[in-house]
Amino acid sequence: MAFNILIVDDSPAMRRVVRRVVDISGLDVGNFLEAGNGVEALVALRAEWVDLIMTDINMPDMDGEELLLAVRNDPVLAAIPVLVVSTDRSEGRARQMLLCGADGYVPKPFLPATLSREMYRLLGGAPDESI
Amino acid sequence: MKAFEFASLVPECCAEVLEAMYFTTLLDSTLAEQPVGVSPDPLASIAFQLRFAGDVSGRFGICLDQATAFSLAANFLGESDNTISADEVAEVVGELANMLCGSVMSRVEGEHKFALSHPERSSSPRLPGADGTFVSRLDTDCGSIAIWIVVEEDACPR
Repeated sequence: MAFNILIVDDSPAMRRVVRRVVDISGLDVGNFLEAGNGVEALVALRAEWVDLIMTDINMPDMDGEELLLAVRNDPVLAAIPVLVVSTDRSEGRARQMLLCGADGYVPKPFLPATLSREMYRLLGGAPDESI
Repeated sequence: MKAFEFASLVPECCAEVLEAMYFTTLLDSTLAEQPVGVSPDPLASIAFQLRFAGDVSGRFGICLDQATAFSLAANFLGESDNTISADEVAEVVGELANMLCGSVMSRVEGEHKFALSHPERSSSPRLPGADGTFVSRLDTDCGSIAIWIVVEEDACPR
């Protein structure tokens, strides 16, 4: 089964890196969708089915926490797993995002294997341990 | 927390960020208080800065030369130097500033939340005119990086 992945980050460079990690993880990906903030992410989510959202927190217009709350409060989108990938490594922020409904929290900088492991945990299956 | 203590966290945080995401090794580092108005590196041609706010607030900047920036960008994006555009290099340097400042703030703030502004490109690598500006020079296997920090408030009531 191919998964559709939505990567939300205001840094195009970081979106490329996350996409590369997904590519080399061996995950069967159908479509990659990208968004630069929460507003763009919600547009993408309403246009196409998404199996996993990977989102930054600190973004203009609508940040990752607002996006997470919008997703959890939308009956159509509420069940989609959300993995937060953020520069903020503070325990307080991680706890807050998990309380808001995030399914996982990966702080930047991250090792490819860490991100890959979290993706597989949320989608099922086993990661390629060679990365 | 004093600016010096804050700035002294930079090398360790930088080593972690560079190794995990830029596949780059930190070889050596020096930390010094910089005279006002002096460029941390006269050869620097790419500079970004951002503001941080939490228990400790202030400004954080990064300066490096083009060759170092291209090497870091190539490592970060997993591509060769000659296929990367100047805009992509700038994006990667901005993200490096974001991750480095976030890493330092996470160590300072621990349990507490903090905020970072979006990294903005500076037209000049010249330091801000503020006393107590600390500059770290970080020598890596991709080249040298200069990082400056100005702490504007020592304590902020929660």
